[in-house]
Amino acid sequence: MIVLTTPDVPGRSISEVLGLVKGNTVRGRHLGRDIAAGLKNLVGGEIDDYTKLLAESREQSIDRMVAEARTLGADAIVGVRITTSQIAVGAAEFLAYGTAVKLA
Amino acid sequence: MNQDPMPTPAELRAMAYADGELSDEETREFEREMIDDPQLAREVAQLKRLEVLSRQVAGPEPMDTEWKRLAEDPWQRAGHGLAWTALSIGVAGLAIAFVVAIAMVDTSPLVKALLLLVVGGFGLLLVLTIRGRLRTLPYDPYTKVQR
Repeated sequence: MIVLTTPDVPGRSISEVLGLVKGNTVRGRHLGRDIAAGLKNLVGGEIDDYTKLLAESREQSIDRMVAEARTLGADAIVGVRITTSQIAVGAAEFLAYGTAVKLA
Repeated sequence: MNQDPMPTPAELRAMAYADGELSDEETREFEREMIDDPQLAREVAQLKRLEVLSRQVAGPEPMDTEWKRLAEDPWQRAGHGLAWTALSIGVAGLAIAFVVAIAMVDTSPLVKALLLLVVGGFGLLLVLTIRGRLRTLPYDPYTKVQR
């Protein structure tokens, strides 16, 4: 599956647009990690517990978007965007979306 | 020479499912099998985990090696162990003290019973949530993603 942020696939032409595909997730770390992250926030530097939380959420939301595109029989997803918002303290919501297409 | 054994047909099918290469009908049949066979679902999660990790192509950063060294330092490990043990004992003790305080508070038995039900219900929900997380953890392929 080709996943691109561009509106088309360079060197290939789009034969059919299958529609919007999206994948979202809300993930959290456990309380122990939140405590550790809170302490790291006091001293500065990277809070790797939350870096990991965001990375987990990003990968899962992209995978869900790709899975939806596969069920539609898509060859590629173009115009991919990722958005995030805070739904709860210490949790990360990611939404990945794009347009599923078939290539000629 | 490669000593890895050749994957079995069942393993190849699980790989094809994880990679989204099965037909719609084969996918539905495989998903039905996963419902009946937790081990199969666990194998798919493991394959998925490898696939997710293979995307993490960036190498370690200099800070990573120092974090790793620090995590292996005996004083650091002992300090963490001591801190978490103290914290756990303190929280458990406070929870017990809270229940005892409710039982001893000067109010009607009905209010006491209701307060204990609230605390007990919350505690039970917490235990069930932890149980659910521990049960589903082997099927979560994203836990090894670092950044």
